[in-house]
Amino acid sequence: MILINKDTKVIVQGATGKMGSAHTKRMIAYGTKVVGGVTPGKGGTKIEGIPVFDTVKEAFQATGATTSVIFVPPFLALDAGSEALDAGAELIVLITEGIPPQDAAKLVAQVKAKGAKLIGPNCPGVITPGECLIGILPGSIFKSGPVGMVSRSGTLTYEIALALTESGLGQSTCVGVGGDPIKGMGYEEALSLFKDDAKTEVIVLIGEIGGTAEEEAAAYIKANVKKPVVAYIAGQTAPPGKRMGHAGAIISGGKGTAQSKIEAFEKAGIKVAKTPSEVAKFVAEATKQVARA
Amino acid sequence: MNLYEWEAKKIFQEHGIPVPPSHRITKPEELRKVHLGYPLTLKVQVQSGGRGKAGGIQFAQDLKDGETKAKDLLKMVINGSKTESLLVEPRLKIAREIYLSVTLDRSRGCAIFIASAEGGIEIESSTNVVTMPIPYPYHDYVGRDLAKQIGLTGNLLNKFADLANKLYKLFESKDLELAEINPLIVTDGDEVLALDGKITICDDALGRHKCFAGWQETHMLDLSEREKRSKRAGLNLVELDGNIGILCNGAGLTMATMDLVKAFGGQPGNFLDAGGGSDTEKTLEALEIVHDNPKCDVILVNILGGITACDEVAQALVAFMKRHPERKLVVRLRGNNQDVAEKMLAESGLKLYPELEAAVKQAVEQSKVPAGAKR
Repeated sequence: MILINKDTKVIVQGATGKMGSAHTKRMIAYGTKVVGGVTPGKGGTKIEGIPVFDTVKEAFQATGATTSVIFVPPFLALDAGSEALDAGAELIVLITEGIPPQDAAKLVAQVKAKGAKLIGPNCPGVITPGECLIGILPGSIFKSGPVGMVSRSGTLTYEIALALTESGLGQSTCVGVGGDPIKGMGYEEALSLFKDDAKTEVIVLIGEIGGTAEEEAAAYIKANVKKPVVAYIAGQTAPPGKRMGHAGAIISGGKGTAQSKIEAFEKAGIKVAKTPSEVAKFVAEATKQVARA
Repeated sequence: MNLYEWEAKKIFQEHGIPVPPSHRITKPEELRKVHLGYPLTLKVQVQSGGRGKAGGIQFAQDLKDGETKAKDLLKMVINGSKTESLLVEPRLKIAREIYLSVTLDRSRGCAIFIASAEGGIEIESSTNVVTMPIPYPYHDYVGRDLAKQIGLTGNLLNKFADLANKLYKLFESKDLELAEINPLIVTDGDEVLALDGKITICDDALGRHKCFAGWQETHMLDLSEREKRSKRAGLNLVELDGNIGILCNGAGLTMATMDLVKAFGGQPGNFLDAGGGSDTEKTLEALEIVHDNPKCDVILVNILGGITACDEVAQALVAFMKRHPERKLVVRLRGNNQDVAEKMLAESGLKLYPELEAAVKQAVEQSKVPAGAKR
């Protein structure tokens, strides 16, 4: 497993909002150690039985947490992220969708300068099944096992996790890095953690059209990752020039096509599944190979 | 949101970037009120690229010539993009053309300058281009560095650096995705001017710039009615040619569902991503938009509830089926609050498909049954 485990303590920024409170409840129900919430002006109150603080600094000091999950509205997210970083956050999971990309770029610059980790924005979060869930993923479809997953999509991650779980293939950790063009953790950073993780035997990489992140990941895997990797690319039939939901999912100037990504993976010796169920099939084959080796 | 050239130039001017004198007209006879001398340049205002190649820029020798040309130009449609107006400018004598833009680089995760000592070109196909990451916080020396890197010297180096700095500040202060001057020209009188400009404003940031309030409505000229409705409702719709309406939550899942429909021999009629956390009302509007496509024979709904609650979707489905009992629906619903949703839909008599591939196969089959048949 990577990034989070049963001992990870997390605080929720925006815990008293509609989304924040609903998912605070879900995370606690899953077993995540949610130790505090942060809402300026509501310090001293409680939500879902956990204490609420006015500032991240107070919350970290009082609870010993160094991980924060952020549910604040888009225009407040840069400030919330900066506050967490300056309070000493080591891991920030930024769920909020619709953050202006220039704000994301400013947050990413600070994250790099501090050597912290940022997952998101516009992401479903991260789960180490059976131990810790941070974000909005539906916990019931995941189960513990040897498959590491990294994905640019939220609900498609659930789809593929469901296919894996129903085939008896559990997951070590699943990271949804988000679909925005400017974001914190990308494939490479997640892959670099999975490749050294003892529990992870097979890695699933879920990509989509737009940008060149999948091509770069293919090159990284070829050079650095010995574990088997199975890839899936969404948008194989997407028309060019149209933004397919995610701000980053667009084929422009002939770049960012599914074909280019699939070719890059195949050249690097990575199996590319055509459907979510085929991902499970390829992973099952790969785990058998790992077992034989 | 892409701005028209005339809007971009107005914003450039407000931020100290010099542009040629100009006049915007929407009728040929308005040319009579333009006193910029002849010859004049007439440029169609469209949101699509490739304007010059398509004949959207014409020169007028006198008023009569101008009115004739303006009449044709105002009717032009370029790559599906309608002409909104004409921008009229004096025809300038150009000594030199330069390219300059600021945009966001997704691989580097920061803003970048793109510049070339050759302007008026298609920047994607040029080899003589400099790309420079922009440090945050910004300093004015960055503009000089850029000028140096593209080989400028003397007075022009300073003038270009000043414009690059102003363009970046505009980019940052207005939350732009792209600010482009192509070409930036040096006239035979040594004036440096933005001859053509392109600005893309980040849609997600519109809410914090009062100066752009209401602009979204005036930039929908090229959208279909359903695309306009989607935009207003905060839904992501892409129209396609087939007869299977697709409604999912999340971009990746919608794309994957669309890919599966094609793989199983069906033809997607649209891509509609309802996004994360859509409630009953928003989901119902999404269903109505897909339903209103005259080419649509069957609607395929695939929802995996994380931040979206399945019961909210189920409520929308129940309301939709009451309004349109004749509409063929194939629904797959999994995730948060699935049990509540299943109960609600069982009461309404709708069959659910828990497996994605089974749902897609069913939708493809239904799409091949002649219209009018019952679901």
